[in-house]
Amino acid sequence: MPRLGELERSVMNVLWDAPAPLTVREVLDALGERDLAYTTVMTVLDRLGTKQMVRRERDGRAFHYAPALTRDAATSELLHAALDEAGTDRTAALVHFARTVDPDEAKALRAALDEIVARESP
Amino acid sequence: MTPLLLGLIGLALALPVPALLARTAWPMLVPRAGIVLWQSFALAAVLAISGAALSTALWLVTHDELTWWRVALHLTIMAIGVLVWARFWWAAWTVYRETQARRRRQRALVDLLGEADGMAPALRILQEQTPIAYCVPGIASPRIVVSQGTIARLSADEYAAVLEHERAHVRRRHDLVLEAFTVLHRAFPRFLRTDAPLVQSQIMVELLADDVARRSFGEAPVAGALVALAGSPTPAGALGVGGAASVRMSRLQQTDPRHPWASVAAYAISAVVLIAPTVLLAVPWMLHAWHTLRT
Repeated sequence: MPRLGELERSVMNVLWDAPAPLTVREVLDALGERDLAYTTVMTVLDRLGTKQMVRRERDGRAFHYAPALTRDAATSELLHAALDEAGTDRTAALVHFARTVDPDEAKALRAALDEIVARESP
Repeated sequence: MTPLLLGLIGLALALPVPALLARTAWPMLVPRAGIVLWQSFALAAVLAISGAALSTALWLVTHDELTWWRVALHLTIMAIGVLVWARFWWAAWTVYRETQARRRRQRALVDLLGEADGMAPALRILQEQTPIAYCVPGIASPRIVVSQGTIARLSADEYAAVLEHERAHVRRRHDLVLEAFTVLHRAFPRFLRTDAPLVQSQIMVELLADDVARRSFGEAPVAGALVALAGSPTPAGALGVGGAASVRMSRLQQTDPRHPWASVAAYAISAVVLIAPTVLLAVPWMLHAWHTLRT
């Protein structure tokens, strides 16, 4: 039995790969996990809905589920938040390892690295 | 006299003093004490300005002759004091709310797009060639995010050093430090503040995380990772915080990054800056009370 986080990922991938909104049953079939319960998939879709990742549409008497944003849009939002450094107020959420530098600074950094490496291995 | 003096101290600590301090390099030598120093300036500014308002209120009720312009002037100062506190708490609240919301969203996206790694529960790997390494801090479920591009560029040692660096941010709650600075930054009106404390504190938490990583893996892997990731081609729209990488590299070049005297100086100045407004406020008041009791 896969963990909830992994299930959310798999369900999202199914929805992203699908050409049209899917019903719970269709998602369950696409997942192809034999011992997965219908209600579990419904719970997962529900959770993705509260995270605003999935949209629920009513089609007659059945509910259809579609991704709230495309895979590309999700990726670009993630990268944008990770790389965006405009506005000092926004930085509190993420702490980066490194930011890009201009060529001159890059050259100076490389020289300093050589010095450190030379010092450690005489 | 006291309210005016306190008000001036508050204004000085809000703008010109931090701007001058930002031009000197020595607080960067001692990041932990440096953070305390910057924080104490901003806190003392809030204390001094609101202290000015408080002592004005006292002066108003204890003074016998009231002329309209005195009342008007002091009511204005009083209003400024109240405004400072209101802005401070409002800023704290909004920063908290926004940070929480942004992190929840980031975590949701990272969990859907990134692959978990068996080695570390918090680690998520993105199928992305742009080199990125960052953390989404939090008490319950922090995430450390790296891309395939990052892994491809680093040696095993360098990769381990990067992860240790990010873990240090998460473990030591550096996000709280940055949040505190963001609150104080937002609490002051635009014309009364500099970006210096916020920018400097961002660099200082990087220095502290580098210190942790180098203790485990040595200077070379941390420096190597810094070069590999900072020297990579610029992704669209990304700009560097001025000189952060250089400051970090020069700390890695120092064989012993401890500077006890600079530390002592930073802590001493912090103490003086925080205590001075309180003393200025309390001493005349106590003298006045003493005088009243004697007669």
